[in-house]
Amino acid sequence: MSVTTPISAPDVALYMRPAAEVMRLARMGCGHPTRLSFLRVMLRRLECADWEIDRPVWKVDANGVGHGVYRVRSAERSYSLVAFAHDLPPEMRSDRVIATAWDATFTLFDGEPTDADIERLAQNVPYQETGRVTSKELTLARANRSVRLFNHVVEALSEGRQPDAEEIRAVGYLMRTTAVYGSGKFGASDRIYIADRPELAAPFQVEMLTVWLIRAFTVDIVEHIAAARGGVNAVKLDRATRRSLGVGNSTGLGMAPFIVRHPVLLNNWIMSREEALARVRAQRIADPQAVEGLETALSEAVANAAIWHSEHPVQRDKLHGLRRDLDQLAEALVGWNWDGDLPWNALWLWGEENLGLEGQEALLSLMLEPHGGLVDDLADHMGADEAASFRINGAMPVEALRHVLETAYDWALEIDFSTPENNARFWYVSEEKLEPRLGERATEDGASLEQPLCIARLIAELYETVRTFDGSAPVAALLLSHPEHRYAVRRAQIAQSHPYAEVRDNLIAADMLPIDLLRCKLAFFGASQFDPRSDRWVRINLFAGAPFPDEIKQEASA
Amino acid sequence: MSADPHDQTRGETAPQFAGNEHAPLSCNEAAALCIKAARGVGMSWGMAEEAGFAAAWLVSQGIDGPTRLCSHLEQADGLDWEDLCPAVTPGAWQNTKGQAACPIILGATLCDYAELPEGPVPNSEISLGTVNSPILLVPFLCELGRRNELSFALRWNGGKLRIDGTKEWLNLAAEALSVSQLSLTLGVENAPCHQPCATTSPNAQTTAATVAALNSFAMRTTVPATEASRAGAGSTLSDND
Repeated sequence: MSVTTPISAPDVALYMRPAAEVMRLARMGCGHPTRLSFLRVMLRRLECADWEIDRPVWKVDANGVGHGVYRVRSAERSYSLVAFAHDLPPEMRSDRVIATAWDATFTLFDGEPTDADIERLAQNVPYQETGRVTSKELTLARANRSVRLFNHVVEALSEGRQPDAEEIRAVGYLMRTTAVYGSGKFGASDRIYIADRPELAAPFQVEMLTVWLIRAFTVDIVEHIAAARGGVNAVKLDRATRRSLGVGNSTGLGMAPFIVRHPVLLNNWIMSREEALARVRAQRIADPQAVEGLETALSEAVANAAIWHSEHPVQRDKLHGLRRDLDQLAEALVGWNWDGDLPWNALWLWGEENLGLEGQEALLSLMLEPHGGLVDDLADHMGADEAASFRINGAMPVEALRHVLETAYDWALEIDFSTPENNARFWYVSEEKLEPRLGERATEDGASLEQPLCIARLIAELYETVRTFDGSAPVAALLLSHPEHRYAVRRAQIAQSHPYAEVRDNLIAADMLPIDLLRCKLAFFGASQFDPRSDRWVRINLFAGAPFPDEIKQEASA
Repeated sequence: MSADPHDQTRGETAPQFAGNEHAPLSCNEAAALCIKAARGVGMSWGMAEEAGFAAAWLVSQGIDGPTRLCSHLEQADGLDWEDLCPAVTPGAWQNTKGQAACPIILGATLCDYAELPEGPVPNSEISLGTVNSPILLVPFLCELGRRNELSFALRWNGGKLRIDGTKEWLNLAAEALSVSQLSLTLGVENAPCHQPCATTSPNAQTTAATVAALNSFAMRTTVPATEASRAGAGSTLSDND
């Protein structure tokens, strides 16, 4: 059982949305970033605590080839992004995680690297998966230029003018990461060795810090190349333009299984967010400053929705709905009665009545925005000690397990897996690239090597066995005669105490959209402008509008 | 998978090392590789997770768990559940077919039975029969000891080992139990055992040969590519926009 699960006060618990509503894929696929998103958590810590940020090393030649070091340090500890800038021929540039060369490669070093460390990293980091890092490194990442915008910005700055605002808006970033690996991958430090540091306790903090520092690098490298080319004529990006730039990211199917494989973590993310919404709804009165904050957040959301473009038909429809919902919300707020009892709850109920799923989830984010003091502590509950819920309770009677299946998994037991549309696909790992993929059961080979990601069907199979098994026998005996159910039994025992652990949909249905899983996770990261390019991969933007290292301190003290 | 160690087109962590290199795997890498390898040899997904737990626990203590797991998987390859699982009776947990027990199945099942009369309850003794790669039992016993405040006495022909309140027990265990097989008796005592801390220099040394062997088992869980599968996985566009 998770030790970090937040406990609601009784009056707040009344306003928690049930998992049956929240954990549906259609709604998860409408998730918006909130102030509890992991990049926001990271930025708040840098703003509030005593962290100094600088760039002690910059050895880059006129062609933009070389390396730089970005350092973030407090009295106790420091972290250094080591960035390697390369000169990549255009034909080698690919969006895929499985590409072979990149415009820039990065690692987040735990501490301050010596020259010998940099030398070692230079022999490994540019090769990414075929190199090795060590437990001194926390992440491994790479990025490619958005060639069109990058070249345009270099050209403009080198000639002493600012880039075209429309070009900047259309792309939104100078570089896109294609992978940011943490958690022990390729020899990097395991999370268990760093999870007890307060600054890294929330999920994905080293990954977010890596990407935020990469963002600073993307601007430095573009200005460096422009200066080398334009000499005294060259100028720097103006601050407002720079601020609008984020870091792009391309993400495919590989990320989709994550939230299915980490049920306790997913539970803690969702539960924290839902608790935050419930706390806001439970307030008896509305603080005028918070109302003002809501209006500011709404106008920013309207502006974001205006520049958020996608060619994908599903997302185009969603964006259309979102813009309409936000307009409707703006209209409703004019003359909204904030003096009644439970005014925030009244607004929420109005939203449930009048807005689509996109609008409702956007409203959630907007309602949290002006309530930092009320909800920000919930970020401390979003991590998970997964080891604590790994061990199976073998003494549980089979009849109690059966009861868990019938109550926590009623949604799964209702699915008829004998119909082709409900059993249409299978998740597998490709031999060629070791990527997770989704196959069509009827037409593709390999279903016998299916990955255990369709939790609903695994639970249904367990239920079939449990129905006829001696109810008074312990789960230990069930597992001794049916070892094939060990995975599903572990899930069920986790779900018993983690109501938001499961995506309550059929993940092998013919009409399931993997991008909905991606959107949920990426919203928790803090991604804006989710742009699916198919039903299986997306582009996003991270940190657009956020402060740069040289701004974060002065804004915090302002 | 391409056998070319310079193939850079792999989608996730699948460490490859050449020749006689040391292979310093992180706990996460060891767990991921061992889960896939165990599944590749036929363990259920849930039991394969237990194999990942045990191997990563040993790695976190600086012990080469992956090599011991690999040695067991080579012996277990092609065997059925009945050949590997214990028959659970009070005092005796041997395999009914007289085969050597799988240390993962045995360890996980001991944990499953922790609160049950046939299980490892205080002041009991269980004859376990022959156990493959017995060091892999240790993570489970240590977990049991932590949860139920137990100590253990392992006995075999010509040797014994205590898992108890002393700090040295893990070093002694690593020495005595890192062998291919032992016929074991497990005594259970009502006293908390010392819980070793994860080593301060993580990334245990395993060997390139172990990683290669585990990789070849792990590859059995993967599906050969087809044109259809390549098409849908991600961007097929140039990234020059």
